[in-house]
Amino acid sequence: MNTFGKKSFLRKLKSMLTVDFKRMFTMPLIYIMAGVCFAMPILILVMTTMMGDAEEGAEAMGTFTNVWQAIGSVSGAGMSMDLTSMCNINMLYFLVAVLVCIFVADDFKSGYAKNLFTVRSKKVDYVCSKSLVCFVGATIMFVAYFIGAMIGGAIAGLPFTTEGFGAGGVIACMLSKIFMTAIFVSIALCLGTVAKQKLWLSILCSFAAGMLLFTMIPMISPLDSGFVNVVMCLAGGGLFAVGLGAVSNLILNKTSLV
Amino acid sequence: MNAIEIRNLTKNFGQKQALAGLNMTVPQGAIYGFIGENGSGKSTTEKLICGLLVPSGGEIKLFGKDYKDAGVREKIGVLIEQPGCFPNYSVWNNMMLQAANLEIPNAAEEVRKVLKVVHMEGSASNKYKNCSLGMKQRIGIAFALLGNPSLLILDEPINGLDADGMRIMRDVLVDVTKNYNCTVVISSHILGELEKIATHYGIVRGGKMIKEMTAEELEADCRTYVALQTKDMEKTQALLSRKYANVTLENDYIRIYDDVKAEEVVSYLYNELCILVTEVKTEKISLEEYYIDLMKEGR
Repeated sequence: MNTFGKKSFLRKLKSMLTVDFKRMFTMPLIYIMAGVCFAMPILILVMTTMMGDAEEGAEAMGTFTNVWQAIGSVSGAGMSMDLTSMCNINMLYFLVAVLVCIFVADDFKSGYAKNLFTVRSKKVDYVCSKSLVCFVGATIMFVAYFIGAMIGGAIAGLPFTTEGFGAGGVIACMLSKIFMTAIFVSIALCLGTVAKQKLWLSILCSFAAGMLLFTMIPMISPLDSGFVNVVMCLAGGGLFAVGLGAVSNLILNKTSLV
Repeated sequence: MNAIEIRNLTKNFGQKQALAGLNMTVPQGAIYGFIGENGSGKSTTEKLICGLLVPSGGEIKLFGKDYKDAGVREKIGVLIEQPGCFPNYSVWNNMMLQAANLEIPNAAEEVRKVLKVVHMEGSASNKYKNCSLGMKQRIGIAFALLGNPSLLILDEPINGLDADGMRIMRDVLVDVTKNYNCTVVISSHILGELEKIATHYGIVRGGKMIKEMTAEELEADCRTYVALQTKDMEKTQALLSRKYANVTLENDYIRIYDDVKAEEVVSYLYNELCILVTEVKTEKISLEEYYIDLMKEGR
């Protein structure tokens, strides 16, 4: 006699998280991404400093005059088209999208999704697990960039002085940026479930969607961020994750999975 | 209770209708041979049962419950096209991931067990991408067997298997149905192999089920014939056609499908026509021949 018991959502989520975390940290992808994030600020800071050794000259060229410029800008600075605005930590949101898209497309490309969705009729645990694991991956990338920026700044001999913001502001800025990755993770995840094994399509669409939000990032998470910025980014990230997670779930339920 | 009950299942891919009101009944514990030409809708039906495609219409019930029921779906083992493995992972790691998905207690032990069943225990550390086609098929079968499934859906599982692999496959399927009350749906173009294990058959054409029957019904349906060889086959065939209604020349043998005994034919040819029969045998038409005849009828 066959018996068919139902398992709770939390139990399913736990097993899904185990699998996804195992996958994330046994794949070279996350290490490559973290490595790139670590090396990128070192290269940018050292090379741009070499371009303009005099502080005034550097400012004229729009290169870095302070280590913290690799992390963000102070409120009111807005988004300009100079080097410090374009080549800072905000670039990572696009790399996060690449990470998520590859992670999701790999499920469909390998046929793993076929095995998974045959035995799991509910897709919500898949969406929750992917969102959480990719968020952790994105956090690792941001931390790697931060460490890289500090080392790069020290090598380049850039000052660590804080003008108009304190250490708390930098921490709040980093937290805000990390919480905001939830928005980009959920966008990329949603587009990944639409594109399935078509990796190029999900990356392309994620970049396009990311460009729309990109200009808002410096305004929401400046270097002089406070508690309000952190809460706002946390709430925004949460809302996007829940909303787009529901859309991803719907897409997986209503479309063909192979 | 039936393991699978499908009523009026339809599936459209844009303008193309892949399934046009397919009905299917698979009794529990059966090995159901699912046969049809390429593009007849076999794989589409299997994917729909597994929830990988969304039906355009109709009803699918598994063990009396809706096919979306989470409890039922957890007990499905599947091998459709290729096993879903990560190419850069070892066979073992791929299996362990699926075991974790299925929340199998003592996962390592269970994985070891199923790998042993398909004779792959020695290749567990190999990277999946380095496995041969036959090995991949065996891994796929091992994947499907993980977690003692109640329903196994296998799409062309024999493809790429060597003789030993086919024998293992047969033994495994018979064992799971007999000892674990598992139901198996297996589609294959290698009808000779299917004939050795299937207890039920479903023949699909143009997205519709044209015939469902048990192995016993097939046996009864498959006509017996007398096959013989003489020195002048064409002349003998012509002469026999005067006496018997259904005489054909197929595969180097004259076949007489009428209800007649071999000895009678031999005696008639020798005594009345002075034709010496060099070889004679009584045979039944195979599943393959039955299937080909059935397909011809529909054209």
